[in-house]
Amino acid sequence: MSVSLLKKPQMHFGAITFFAKQHKDDVCGSNGLPLTPNSIIIYGRAQILKTIVNPYLCRYLDIIRGKHERTIAVSQYCGKPLSSFIEKSVFSFTDIKRIAYQVLQGLKELHSRNIVHHNLSSENILYENGNIKLFNYGLYYMTDNGKLVSFPIVQLLYTAPEVYLEEFKEIIANPKVDIWSLGIILAELTLNKLLWSSLILGQRIRKVLSLVQSTTSVFERIAREHNCYDRYQAIPADLKEIIEVCLNIYSEDRPTAAELLEKGIFDEFQVQKTDWLSLLKMYEIFTISELYYWWQLTGGDVLQELKRQGLIRSSPPILSLPHLVLIEGTILGQDRNPATLYDPKIVEMPMETLYERFKNISFSCYYPLIQTKSEIIAQSEPEPYDATGLPLVIKEKDPEYQFHRVILLRRLLHGYPFTRDLIVKEAEKDIPPLFRGDIWSALLNVRGDYERQYAKIDKATPTPTDRQIEVDIPRCHQYNELLSSMEGHKKLKRILKAWVNQNTQYVYWQGLDSLTAPFLYLNFNDEAKAFSCLSKFVPKYLHNFFLKDNSAVIEEYLAKFSQLIAFHDPVLANHLYEINFYPQLFAIPWFLTLFSHVFPLHKILHLWDKVLLGNSSFSLHIGLSVLTQLRDRLLNSGFNECILLFSDLPEVDIEKCVILSAETFQKTPGSITHREYENEEFKKTGELDISGVTLQDLKKERCPRISVSDLLELIRNSPDKAIVVDIRNITQFNRCSVRDSINIPFSSVCFSENKIENVGHHSNVLKDNLDKIVVVVGDEETDLELFPTFLLNCNVKFVCVLHGGFNILLPISPTILASQNHIS
Amino acid sequence: MARPKESFLYKNMSYNFEHLIEIPFEDSIDELTHILMSKHGIPRYVEEELLEDLARFVKERTVEYNDQRVMNLINGAKDNKINIEEITKKWEKVLKEEVTEYGEQRCASDNELFATAYHKMVHSPALETMLQLEHMYSQTVRQKAKEKNQLIQEMSERQSKEMNSAVDRLEKDMTESQINGLVARHYEDHALLQGKLNSELDTIKEAQRREYREWLMQMLEQNQTTSSLPTPNSPLTPMPIESIIPSVNFNNGVANVPVLEESFTIHLGSQLKQMHNIRILSANVMDLCSVDDSRQSSEPTPQILQTALALYSNDLSGLVLMADNKIGSRMTKEFQDICDRTTEFHFSHLEDQFNKISNMSLGYLKRDSQSNNRNSHSELLQAGDFYVTRHSNLAQVHVIFHMVSDDSLRGTNINSRHPIILGLRNILKTACSNDITSLTIPLLLQYDMTEEMTVSWCEKRAELVFKCVKGFMIEMASWGGSDLKNLQFMLPQGISNQVFQSLTEMLPRIFKVSNPKILK
Repeated sequence: MSVSLLKKPQMHFGAITFFAKQHKDDVCGSNGLPLTPNSIIIYGRAQILKTIVNPYLCRYLDIIRGKHERTIAVSQYCGKPLSSFIEKSVFSFTDIKRIAYQVLQGLKELHSRNIVHHNLSSENILYENGNIKLFNYGLYYMTDNGKLVSFPIVQLLYTAPEVYLEEFKEIIANPKVDIWSLGIILAELTLNKLLWSSLILGQRIRKVLSLVQSTTSVFERIAREHNCYDRYQAIPADLKEIIEVCLNIYSEDRPTAAELLEKGIFDEFQVQKTDWLSLLKMYEIFTISELYYWWQLTGGDVLQELKRQGLIRSSPPILSLPHLVLIEGTILGQDRNPATLYDPKIVEMPMETLYERFKNISFSCYYPLIQTKSEIIAQSEPEPYDATGLPLVIKEKDPEYQFHRVILLRRLLHGYPFTRDLIVKEAEKDIPPLFRGDIWSALLNVRGDYERQYAKIDKATPTPTDRQIEVDIPRCHQYNELLSSMEGHKKLKRILKAWVNQNTQYVYWQGLDSLTAPFLYLNFNDEAKAFSCLSKFVPKYLHNFFLKDNSAVIEEYLAKFSQLIAFHDPVLANHLYEINFYPQLFAIPWFLTLFSHVFPLHKILHLWDKVLLGNSSFSLHIGLSVLTQLRDRLLNSGFNECILLFSDLPEVDIEKCVILSAETFQKTPGSITHREYENEEFKKTGELDISGVTLQDLKKERCPRISVSDLLELIRNSPDKAIVVDIRNITQFNRCSVRDSINIPFSSVCFSENKIENVGHHSNVLKDNLDKIVVVVGDEETDLELFPTFLLNCNVKFVCVLHGGFNILLPISPTILASQNHIS
Repeated sequence: MARPKESFLYKNMSYNFEHLIEIPFEDSIDELTHILMSKHGIPRYVEEELLEDLARFVKERTVEYNDQRVMNLINGAKDNKINIEEITKKWEKVLKEEVTEYGEQRCASDNELFATAYHKMVHSPALETMLQLEHMYSQTVRQKAKEKNQLIQEMSERQSKEMNSAVDRLEKDMTESQINGLVARHYEDHALLQGKLNSELDTIKEAQRREYREWLMQMLEQNQTTSSLPTPNSPLTPMPIESIIPSVNFNNGVANVPVLEESFTIHLGSQLKQMHNIRILSANVMDLCSVDDSRQSSEPTPQILQTALALYSNDLSGLVLMADNKIGSRMTKEFQDICDRTTEFHFSHLEDQFNKISNMSLGYLKRDSQSNNRNSHSELLQAGDFYVTRHSNLAQVHVIFHMVSDDSLRGTNINSRHPIILGLRNILKTACSNDITSLTIPLLLQYDMTEEMTVSWCEKRAELVFKCVKGFMIEMASWGGSDLKNLQFMLPQGISNQVFQSLTEMLPRIFKVSNPKILK
């Protein structure tokens, strides 16, 4: 059945675990802040390993940080260790050549990325169906050449003699140590003998070191010591030569992996240039990393599995308490917990639950139909998995739903940019967490050559802003493991420097770091993409917010925010107005960082999922929804309490917030949040749109303006959603007015008291208004501030003023105007 | 030997510029190319050529650099400049210490085995039987202790009577020396009796402990085959309940003092909020330790259950007690008495624990008094040091932190650099890295009411402790251990309502209290 698609032999994974070195005592870094725990540094360094995709390397899937500095590395694991085949005479010399070729291919890939295996042995080369994969090759790299762990990363017999000689002081990785290890492995394979298997620990080290003194061929010496000289002589000359050259005592005489691959012996394995099929990169419907994601969703828990299979042994903490702790931090009487020693055991993860869970997914679900014009074909598609109406957090945890989303979106992303419209459509439903980074960059229209563009930017030369960046980074979302790692700091700094370098019209404002954080978090292994998302994001959503003098932009934004509150929630707006609690006092960091400085990352992600689909006014609605959640407390608080409340914003329910802001966004005509300082590229500038409102005027008006085009839209398409209040005098009204509008002559209203009854017999319509938009229409002779403000003070909702006054309606065709005289 | 980075001069002949490149080179060559191009005004079309050239340069220099390093090493070894034997020893040592495979094959210790057994059984239906048994054992010990006290008291009474009559007869037929002799005899008898009874008690405890542990292991075995639960039958387990003489409850009055307490849920952190429970209470700190035995019932008190369940778990509960610089001094007498009241089935007796710590501290402080940077070069502990004892027979706590304090605490001008505060930080850190997730701290840094405790003194002290602890808790998040779930601030028993009020009002000003969820 279809589940067999999941059951490929390569699609299995395993995990190893180890402890990072604990920092001694309480030391601080050079910046005066506490040192980053080593496990976090490892976590950051290891991320890049996940990007290595090579047929001869087990793919890294996940790095997990446990309690008390534990690190777990999850990676592909398939086949059996090569060591289990030795002494069984299963390999012909051709097999051995192929193994050598494949190992070298793997090493070449690693070495080209400046990664040294340092841990190569026949134990962690996995063999299956004639092919090999290197396993656990990242341990040395992720632990910063072994500096972050207390155990040495060596494979006794396979480690090159210079490693031992250097003792533990080695600070620079030398790729040639892997070539030596390969030589030993090949020697084992060709001689079909486990080397020095009877020796104990110390003797083995001594043995390796003794090779240094040998003046003849090391390989020959090994063969003689194992009484295999006959076999040694039977080895084909070309293979023998390879082994001899690998086992040179001086690394200078050992070729690099790339050089070795050039040798004629490997010609038969080289991919032929004419073999087009193998050169083409095939599209895979899913890879092991997606499978791992589903596995986790179906309840796979690496930590539990390690415990179950005995790799994590926990001894009760009460038995290992220290006896005495001195004031300077010296701990006495606490023995080293034996469970923290390094155990290179690998634990395989069971896949049964996943298979069981996915067994009913039909074959065609793996190949979703994306575009068809035929109804009949479309109907033959299986019913979509129904998750509508479920809360987002549930959808994100639902394995079947995520299966369908991942299959579909992986395909769509593969087709980007041609499938952008489809991606947007899917993103409106929800965004699967696994692909959030890619989907976001698709929504932001990131271009294909972003990597090249980024490479061109100078991120190294010091600039005057460096100091501020340096100060901000160690304070930016540091609860997050990625962002608090050294690697994270380095990347964030590079991105910020690149941004400053590219945006000379702007200055670096504090907050830009928080703004970058979500992009970096999602694209941790693709700095260029994070940068490019940021560079697309800022002009669209925060246009000119980072000007050296951004006061006008911010002021306008905040004034609009006040108006939006007044539009949707007059009661709250009036209360805040009365106690003089202006948005200037609390909302600047909200909008300047689009809430990325306010909320923790996991909340920002959900929030921005929606932001990226909306326009730059969406964050006003988010601000409104935050206030709405705190409404009761705000209404019952005075100025001081409000200030205190916002100084440390209470927990906000982000799902509610997203829904609410989407609702108000939907309901609010676009021109209500029209801003003069919006990016021209995204601004509507038709004749019937708002333009030319000065900041001074804007700040005076408590109710927002609406554009003619929005009014027309309302009246033509949903007349029951609007109440047009004409405040000109009755003669003018009777002569010509908007159809179905009501007339409350400006002069007839007494504004001394905030009582809605003062407007006369139309008061009930306004008073009972629940969801209609109240458009106030006047002309030059009427006061277009006093009246709407009066309505606002009477707590009438959705009050807005027609921009341009009544006269602008006259030339509209087809007209919406009528003469009352004529009707009556 | 390891060498630092080395700079190589890259010279480009065709465009006539130079650049220093550090080997090993860790940045992107691609980016360097662009930087050099803009710096030296090199035309775009040579980009690829330059990149290639730079890459080759870096690669060659790196190989050269590495090979040179290895060559030096190997030559050193060949010329016997490097001591192979020594290196081998070093590697052997490290591998044995750090890698399971080469490490000593260590069996689980007795304690660990017992811990596993106990933890397993306590989370099984056997729980009730176990607690019952423990309770009965403790009743026996209490009974025995009571008898001991009674016998001693009887003797004292008899002796004082004898003494009185002797004194009365002083003028008649007794001489002073005879009386002195009598005093000496009385004293001797008293000591003898006490010693005898104490050793009897210790013997009982020791026997109980052995029997209990054997019984538990045996039960575990049986439990694995059958599911029935045997109960041990021995003279050490308890007599029928009726025989326990109901004692007059003189403690009642004290126990009924209303306990002042208030709980808060707080959150820490500006973006990601971490929740913690905090409680302020005013009570006798010994109530956390002493198992309420006034009721003389056959049922163990329910508090014990919780404590037993968590004993070998990763949610331990700790308590900070104040002590002086002499380990096991009289200052902790009351606590020691409580510990001795019942049998300790799991850990060494308190006295033994104290002795062990004493030796350890003496050994360390003597040995290192020159090298370490302690303020005083004394062999005694100093304020801010603390020692840790573990217990299974206390009411609500497993771990006691005995914080060494001094008289400076009474003053008004202690600040956040005071040794006790630093000690508090170490305690939190120890708690964090040893899975102690509930902790009780004296809010005023002492448990007894003293003269100088004015309202303003209390407020000042509490503010300091609140603020410091808050800081430590924020720091804690980066220590990578377990979170402190419950934190109790203890006030001395009998503190005035007014002070208590003002301190509970202070807490929400310092810690951010979570919003209550209001149902609408």
